[in-house]
Amino acid sequence: MFDIAPDHAIGLYAGLLALPLALIAIRLRPARRRVPGTVLGASVLLAMAGAIHWGLISSHINEPFTALLFLMNGTGYIVLSFAFTWRWWRPASAALLGATLLGYLVYIALGFDSPDQVALATKLLELIALGLVLVPVRGELGRPRRAVRWTSLAIALPVLTLITTSTVWIVSLARPDAQHSHAGALLQATNDVATPDQVAAAAQLYAETKAAILPYQDWHQAWAAGYRPGGGANLGSTHWMNQANVDAGYVMDPRRPQGLVYANTKHGPVLLGAMFQMKHIGQFGPDPGGPLTAWHQHENICVTPIGFEFSLMTPFATCPLGSIDISASPMLHVWIVDNPKGGPFAVDIDDEVVKKIDRS
Amino acid sequence: MIEAKSSSRPEAAFVLLLMQAMLWTIAGLSAIPFALAGEVYMLGLGIASLLLALGTCLLAIGVLWRRRSARRWVLVLEVVCLIGSLLVLLLPIGANHGPVALMTNVALPIAVIVLLRKQQDAFL
Repeated sequence: MFDIAPDHAIGLYAGLLALPLALIAIRLRPARRRVPGTVLGASVLLAMAGAIHWGLISSHINEPFTALLFLMNGTGYIVLSFAFTWRWWRPASAALLGATLLGYLVYIALGFDSPDQVALATKLLELIALGLVLVPVRGELGRPRRAVRWTSLAIALPVLTLITTSTVWIVSLARPDAQHSHAGALLQATNDVATPDQVAAAAQLYAETKAAILPYQDWHQAWAAGYRPGGGANLGSTHWMNQANVDAGYVMDPRRPQGLVYANTKHGPVLLGAMFQMKHIGQFGPDPGGPLTAWHQHENICVTPIGFEFSLMTPFATCPLGSIDISASPMLHVWIVDNPKGGPFAVDIDDEVVKKIDRS
Repeated sequence: MIEAKSSSRPEAAFVLLLMQAMLWTIAGLSAIPFALAGEVYMLGLGIASLLLALGTCLLAIGVLWRRRSARRWVLVLEVVCLIGSLLVLLLPIGANHGPVALMTNVALPIAVIVLLRKQQDAFL
């Protein structure tokens, strides 16, 4: 959802190219003086959306049905971007924009495509264009049907924005691509199946790390070694970070992991595992176990310094007020407790494991 | 035929502000699941985002009604948003630099500022 699909990039270029062309085309038309600026704005956005759809035809030529839909949709938008003096321009534009928005959502929900930045940018353009098409303007002549347009605007824009966001989000989280794990974590690229050497290397890393961090089962020792909890103790587990180890930039050193993970139980902190972290964003660490020890990088998370808590950035790139969008440099967990769902190097510890420890 | 005899910039700004309010509403709502999972401060941030969205919506209506104070507050809000967004984009913290982030956090505030910049005479 936060990447640009290679076969969609051309659509983005076409849309950007259409912006100056649409502005020039409007300048050349005397009829522009007879319509409100909102109509001209919508016309430009329709031209851009049309160009994006046309641009995508070339990269979807092997999918005739999709290519045909892009052709029809793009042509509809381009024609409407020129026909802004037509009597039925508003209903026709609103209908096409609404149908395109809903059609796309059905398309991705059925798994025919995955949402990416080009698609989301187009949806944002279409939503704004819909608002500009519907909004009544002061001093408008003719039969503006203000009540109908206000009602349509008040319903269509919020509802379509909400449906678009939730559908895109659900589809992205429910069907992440091969490079993404849970919650937007980008996985290190590896071979598919671990070789015997990689299995042995992963086992060695696990054994060395477990032996090195066992003393930290007593959290006082971890505290004495410089590990400090980040975030509240009301969550299931907490990462305790050692800033000196982070700053030193040790690379996958079992004796000096950058972080420890503790379950927050009624008996106090219970050690779940260690976390190695690289110093720089995008710099994945050594991967001795191949697919077994793939690092992951958390991207597009909204972090707040208040209580050091986080949420996920929305598909339309907004974070809750008071938090900012960041990426965390690559990390690798080593779980020393049994983690049946993901194994000893999984991105996450199973919630059930944490709950079980808390109950014990 | 659609004809107009006065500037429709406030109406265009109204649509953009409405869109911005919707996006902040979604950001506010997105914090709630995390608050339910135990991140208590996220609840406060979620509510703050929803209040910001409500405030933006009211300012959008003020702009539509050509209220001078609404225009002034919108310009302040958009400049603050723009500065904040540019800082986040420029700092090496791995913020998203995709087209959607640029549209939402940079292009949208700039568009609102441009639309309302030279319109003081049209406002009461």
